[in-house]
Amino acid sequence: MSAKRLAFAVSASFLLASSLAARAHEDEAPGGKLGKVSFPTSCARAVQPTFERAVAMLHSFWYNLAEKTFADILAQDPGCTVTAWGYAAILMSNPLAGAGASAEGAKKAQAAIDNARRTPPKTQRERDYVEAVAAYYEDWANRPEKARQLSRSKAFEALAAKYPKDDEAQIFSALYIAGTQSQADQTYAAYMKAVAILEPQFKKHPNHPGVAHYLIHSYDAPPIAPKGLVAARRYAGIAPDAPHALHMPSHIFTRVGSWEESIATNLRSATVARTAADWPEAYHASDYAVYAYLQLGRDDEARLTMEEALRFSGGDSPSPAFPYAAAAMPARLAMERGDWKAAAQLKPIASKLPFTDALTYFARAIGAARSGDVAAAEKDAGQLAEIHRRLETAKNAYWATEVEVQRLAVAGWIAQAKGNAEEGAKLMRASADLEDRNEKHIVTPGRIVPARELLGEMLLEQKQPAAALKEFETSQVREPNRFRNYAGSAIAAEAMGDRKKAAEYYAKLLELSKKGDGNRPELARAKAYVAQQ
Amino acid sequence: MRIAAVLLAALALGGASFPTHADPAETDSDLAATDQDYAAGRKAIVARQWEEAIARLRKAEVRNPDHADLQNDLGYAYRNLKQFDAAFRHYKRALELQPRHRGAHEYIGEAYLMVGDVPNAEKHLAALRAICLLPCEELTDLEKAFAKYRR
Repeated sequence: MSAKRLAFAVSASFLLASSLAARAHEDEAPGGKLGKVSFPTSCARAVQPTFERAVAMLHSFWYNLAEKTFADILAQDPGCTVTAWGYAAILMSNPLAGAGASAEGAKKAQAAIDNARRTPPKTQRERDYVEAVAAYYEDWANRPEKARQLSRSKAFEALAAKYPKDDEAQIFSALYIAGTQSQADQTYAAYMKAVAILEPQFKKHPNHPGVAHYLIHSYDAPPIAPKGLVAARRYAGIAPDAPHALHMPSHIFTRVGSWEESIATNLRSATVARTAADWPEAYHASDYAVYAYLQLGRDDEARLTMEEALRFSGGDSPSPAFPYAAAAMPARLAMERGDWKAAAQLKPIASKLPFTDALTYFARAIGAARSGDVAAAEKDAGQLAEIHRRLETAKNAYWATEVEVQRLAVAGWIAQAKGNAEEGAKLMRASADLEDRNEKHIVTPGRIVPARELLGEMLLEQKQPAAALKEFETSQVREPNRFRNYAGSAIAAEAMGDRKKAAEYYAKLLELSKKGDGNRPELARAKAYVAQQ
Repeated sequence: MRIAAVLLAALALGGASFPTHADPAETDSDLAATDQDYAAGRKAIVARQWEEAIARLRKAEVRNPDHADLQNDLGYAYRNLKQFDAAFRHYKRALELQPRHRGAHEYIGEAYLMVGDVPNAEKHLAALRAICLLPCEELTDLEKAFAKYRR
């Protein structure tokens, strides 16, 4: 075992040991430490603590364990029919992902609600919870998801207004308000409305899993992400045994470029997820950690994290998190280091999801084109075209657009390799513009490399440093604190003769990678430049 | 004992079985995989049963009013029935929802040629030329439709 590998193993063991020690007092309870939730019910006293744990699981989107826990409660206390609310809430799935309940799920939820209506919960408040969730499922088959979301939001707002002292009602109301946020609304009105409810609750309940969790989601957009840092830093400590709670803060850490924090929380998330045999979550967290390590120039640790993740099979989950991460991690490792030959030699991994296969072909094609092997790049471009056709046939517009971004970038670098600079820049710019119009998917911390950063690199190769710097600085707005961006910005500023800016960017690069391996060629250049000053 | 408890709970919940794991990183699903009416509508299009296609797609539209592909499919079905007003309405809606929808640009362009409205057809040809920086079938097919029209 190398010193680096040993240090990595010790570090991972320490994280696990710390986590285990911290939660020792809650280990007997299902799910471990999940934060503090108070949800009084009329159910048998014996099941009350378990009911509150099930609600805590619901708040951390730990749906599979929550569903089993609600079922166990009902088995123990058949009169506890307020469990129908929890069950129907689980079946709505992630309220912030927009997909909503499946047709089969809606039928099951309606059956549970009907059962609770036949055997009503003992208190009016509990009956009101069941009716609030029922508003989402009403006439389900004949309404669009947006209408269902709006009904749910209004019903829970009414519930919160009727029970102003019931903080759970306020918190769920905020979640479902946030769930109505339109991607087209750049004022983030629904998110801000949710935040107005959640921030005072956060002061009142600093250990509540839902409050911290929903604040992170409500700030999960580039211009407002820094406001979510407090909640992000606290959530993992509130519910350290919920895999999603450990990973979720890194959505904010990635948005603001806080790589150390992203690594710490994702390594813990991956470990806990593996312990729980939650393979998609383990892969998802590992991919985020690899992305963060690479920004710090900690390439060996990125590789070891990837290798550790790939030791385990992804299981048979239909989630895209496993195949996406399995394809993304090797592609990131090659491309973020500018190792074009390694990128060109990546092994394609066939999966059931063509858009994950595209990641490898994209990296191969860019790697080949930037290594001068145009024939190989064109062959892989053909694979991307075929994948794009399949996605369009399947009417998968989002991922078809993502693959089109990749195709345009590949065509741009092929044109550049053939000496057609103008055509190359035109295609690469079209790729960057298209990518900017398509928000990144939550399955990924970021695209393999941002298209606008690739445009900056191409313009640098074309001896247009001022134009290149403009693209790098535009890219920083959405993708802050990235290694390749600072390196490109510094080189562009140096080529322009802007010594002050070049020194600033080289200094940022050195600061960013101060714990890194120090092997990347950009760092030697940065050190030499700073030494000259 | 645990299995019995879960089954008992499922029965008490109205006979419902429990949902499969809902992953927070779920992806956009193919509408045909989640909406039976949309799937049936598309099947009817393949079978060239235009009225059946319209009936099923209209049902799916109630649940999915902002789905560009569904609007494009409705446009196509109406176009084949020579109901051009309805076809144009749905193609335009598809392009409102997704301005770079290549299929909708091609089909509405062809529809304009079918009614002899060349200036409007040319607008969509120009749009496809701007969108298709890489070769795309939609542009080739609309160019062929123009060539045929002009013969």
